[in-house]
Amino acid sequence: MAKADREDEAANAAAPALPYDEMRSIDGTVRPHYAALAARIETLSSEELSERQRTLERFFLLQGITFTVYGAESSTERIIPTDLLPRIIAAEEWKTIETGLTQRLKALNMFLADIYSGQQILMDGVVPRDLVLGAPSYQREMQNLYVPHQAYANVCGSDLIRQPDGAFAVLEDNLRVPSGVSYMLANREASKRVFPGTFRGAGVRPIDRYPDLLLTTLKSMAADWRPNPQVVVLTPGVYNSAYFEHAYLARLMGVPLVEGRDLVVHDNMVYMRTTTGLRRIDVIYRRVDDDFIDPLTFRRDSGLGSAGLFNAYRAGNVVICNAPGTGVADDKAVYAYVPEIIKYYLGEDAILPNIETFLCREPAQLSHVLANLDKFVVKAVGASGGYGMLVGPHSTKAQQDEFAAALKADPNNYIAQPTIQLSTGPCLIGNDIESRHVDLRPFILSGEKIVVTPGALTRVALRKGSLVVNSSQGGGSKDTWVLTDGKDLHP
Amino acid sequence: MMLARVADSLYWIGRYVERAEHLCRLSDVMLTATLDRTESASQIARIALAAVGDPEDTAKARSPYDSALALVLDKEDPGSVASSLALARENARQVRDQITTETWERLNMIHFRMTDPHAAQSFAGGSQAFLHDTIADLHLFKGAADATMSHGEGWRFLLLGVYLERAQLIGALLEVCFGEKSKRVLADHAAQTSLLRMGCALEPYLRVYTADIRPDLILEFLLLDEDFPRSMRFCTARIEEHLTSISRHGESESPGPDRLAGRLRARLQYADIEEVQAGGASAFLTAILDECAAVHKAVYEAFVAYPLEQHLPA
Repeated sequence: MAKADREDEAANAAAPALPYDEMRSIDGTVRPHYAALAARIETLSSEELSERQRTLERFFLLQGITFTVYGAESSTERIIPTDLLPRIIAAEEWKTIETGLTQRLKALNMFLADIYSGQQILMDGVVPRDLVLGAPSYQREMQNLYVPHQAYANVCGSDLIRQPDGAFAVLEDNLRVPSGVSYMLANREASKRVFPGTFRGAGVRPIDRYPDLLLTTLKSMAADWRPNPQVVVLTPGVYNSAYFEHAYLARLMGVPLVEGRDLVVHDNMVYMRTTTGLRRIDVIYRRVDDDFIDPLTFRRDSGLGSAGLFNAYRAGNVVICNAPGTGVADDKAVYAYVPEIIKYYLGEDAILPNIETFLCREPAQLSHVLANLDKFVVKAVGASGGYGMLVGPHSTKAQQDEFAAALKADPNNYIAQPTIQLSTGPCLIGNDIESRHVDLRPFILSGEKIVVTPGALTRVALRKGSLVVNSSQGGGSKDTWVLTDGKDLHP
Repeated sequence: MMLARVADSLYWIGRYVERAEHLCRLSDVMLTATLDRTESASQIARIALAAVGDPEDTAKARSPYDSALALVLDKEDPGSVASSLALARENARQVRDQITTETWERLNMIHFRMTDPHAAQSFAGGSQAFLHDTIADLHLFKGAADATMSHGEGWRFLLLGVYLERAQLIGALLEVCFGEKSKRVLADHAAQTSLLRMGCALEPYLRVYTADIRPDLILEFLLLDEDFPRSMRFCTARIEEHLTSISRHGESESPGPDRLAGRLRARLQYADIEEVQAGGASAFLTAILDECAAVHKAVYEAFVAYPLEQHLPA
């Protein structure tokens, strides 16, 4: 998008800010990077579009990209709602996203390395000490533990939104066990089948190197003296809602998919049970939450991890990716300080801005939030997945009263942000094309290097007018095309 | 090298898929036989039901349609086709990273056919067509596995499951017809051809023995034929082949399952039908089935549920 264009819109979108439309500018003309797709859609009848939608859904069903809905008598499998119209991002916009995300993850890794060693940033008073050390996601077991390349969050999935003025901002960093990358890859496979001609013509940057870049990242975390490191993916098992993704990544990386019951820890070494005896493991890409990886160190009732795993990690005999305790850097309260964190470690201004955030632990900010509950989005610090959240403008008086009471009772547990009109994109709803709100989750890998894959998961709030994109709350997804500027044909 | 749990799952996929196919075929033969109102129809139904482990239940044999419907679609019965396929798919889901997409898609399709809310309706509308399609889909699954999976350790565990299950199913069928407890001889021509059909053996049998159908020849064919893929001899030869190859991957110390499998194969390879009958077919079949069970147990002890102490570094 041209700069003049954006300023134009910022001026026009005064007062009750209209959401930014991904496909059309404010005067209704199609933005240049959407031209090819818009032209193609014009030539298709709604019948033909629905037919393509069915092709896409069948593809997902056959591949087993489903989740199970448990009913009273029988359980059925459903696919995650997927929209066939891709979301398109122009090359120059992507450049900003890419450099912004790289900067952000670099700073967050430095922050984690610092708070788990000398805690200089806390001594300098940039981030309140109690906020960090009191966060439930802070793991003191990680203190003074060597992490190669200071890469704590090897896989990061940040949630970006586009504000009404057209600029991207970071809504949330996910540094624990972010999921959704398999949908990014599967959506791409599907959209190549649905819009082959348009896809070829548009010049879309490929994302299919993600699995091998992930493997390279994981291998770079292994100790130097282990020349051919054995990497595995650790899954909670087949009943986990992201199980498809765990199996998918293991298959595409060509590494074993293990469960806790396959692992044996002996003498601070981690082994897996194979048909030919025990085999040593060097790197575990774990898709199990911190609390569950080792019943000896964390939750005792967990059967998903392996007893003694954390000690083997401490001894340097195995690497756990992402490192335990990374969650403290994506804590919703710590989030408010990320621009200062970037400034502190890198001496730079944040390229991607934060959303204005009010910390209810500060009395002045709390009273401001309480006075304007109908305008704010209030989130519980520890919750995720769209739960424990109040969307002010869409809430009833009773809900607001309920949250006001909760806020006063435990202000530390809440933050508030102004309600942001997420940008909208075209979606096929029934037989018609309608606008729905979307966000953007790109995936960033960090090991020896930081790599941003030129693509993302675009999540869609399929309910009309809804701003909640989480799949647990009626959200769906669609493919995301990052266009090439002609210079960089390779990622 | 592969995870013990994964090997176990692949092995069971093979077993469940083979079981489902066999049950479909028995149901099909049973339903086809009952189209003729002959005395042998109920004998055939009794054979089929006895071969799947249902004790001689005359009430069931009198309503073969209901028995077949239950055998195929009853989700409550852990031994039904629907349950076997659900278990096969559940195992496949757990090792989704180990089987190719092509193979997975086939199994997934069959699963959707069985769990379709209209499945009972389409079974009623044309049970033979329904069973025929299910068997054909299972063949496609095996074909996809053969054509797209690497013929390495995982694939061999899958086929080990297929052949071990097949040997045991055919063995059970023969025991019903030739064992001690078999009350009546297979005198009837319809019963004899139906038995061959249950083993998917009619056409291959005719090629070897022509249309001279006799119980002792049927026994010889299903037990000892070298080339027919459902004869017990053929199955045990494959079991030995796959186990030998699997064992080569590891450094097995104890006398492994491959030795048991070799002995089993040799027993069938060098058997002679007259000797078998002289000593009693029943005793021979019992011995073979016991050895199959021993192979299954040995596979578990060698590859899946081995004691850890043997393998930990000192």
